[in-house]
Amino acid sequence: MRDCESIRESIGRWLDGELDTAESEAISAHLASCGECKKAQRQLETMQQTLKTTLLTEAQKVEFLPFWRGVQVRLARKTAWYEHPLARARETFTLSRAAWLVPASIAVVLAVLSLESYIPGWREGRNSFANVESIDAYGRNVALLRENESKTTVIWLYEDQEGENESADESAKSAPAF
Amino acid sequence: MRVLTNPRNQLRLFSLVLILVARWVVAAEKNPQFVQVTIRSILAENKSDEYDPKLKGMEQQLKPLKYRSYRLLKAEDQTVPSQGSRSFEIPGGRSLTVAPQDFQNNRIALKVRLTERDKPVIDTTVAIPNKGNFILGGPPHEGGVLVLSISATAQ
Repeated sequence: MRDCESIRESIGRWLDGELDTAESEAISAHLASCGECKKAQRQLETMQQTLKTTLLTEAQKVEFLPFWRGVQVRLARKTAWYEHPLARARETFTLSRAAWLVPASIAVVLAVLSLESYIPGWREGRNSFANVESIDAYGRNVALLRENESKTTVIWLYEDQEGENESADESAKSAPAF
Repeated sequence: MRVLTNPRNQLRLFSLVLILVARWVVAAEKNPQFVQVTIRSILAENKSDEYDPKLKGMEQQLKPLKYRSYRLLKAEDQTVPSQGSRSFEIPGGRSLTVAPQDFQNNRIALKVRLTERDKPVIDTTVAIPNKGNFILGGPPHEGGVLVLSISATAQ
């Protein structure tokens, strides 16, 4: 039985059809019974749909005619065998492709950075615990609890059973109440 | 504007605009001007099984504490400048000073100091997810213990 975290890590590949049949069926079965993972799946689908729509919209604005003319010229031209590696390299690293690489990369980075605004809480499944960086309790005992179910971090101050503060309440004397 | 009819120039312009927007977005996330801090003071005890309806939504967070009764004593909101600090009055003559330290990866680092009659009880620095919280508890109060829920939202 796979846990929710590993399922969520695989949802993207599952949506892209990259998983084998057994894995795909395991994820389908889990999503049918787990509301949180189903929610994560919907969020991912929404993100993919948004990216797809944006890319399709932007792609329509591109003028392919100059590019196609270049292809026709290259097809018509007869080249010597030793020219092929250079020609292939030139076709691969053309300026127009490099020019597209920059905005495409930026668009992806922007989309990831902006996801929290559009899909609140999408990152919470990964790391929503509070991280305690430092504690100074001035000689008191401190217990730290990180509870997985609610992703809660608890800092608990307590005194020993035979602590110094004899007047303290019984409930506070006993060690952490968890 | 003939220069803009060239597809390459259009792409360069498009790239430039995207870079500027990206810088703006990243800068906006890194530097919130204010942090809204909410402190909820809760009395946890074992004298009854009463759960205060004002604490609806916190059941899961309080569940690990194993007390039978939870009652909201006080809730206070303050907007704290990102480079400043604010003090919150806590029941039992206590005071909680909160100072935002840093904002990175959608997390707010808060320096928190609890004092009781001007004596320090605890100093801690905790990085919490934006719009998240953590629990600080244990000080005895009115036959039970005080539980503080400290939450922060970047603005």
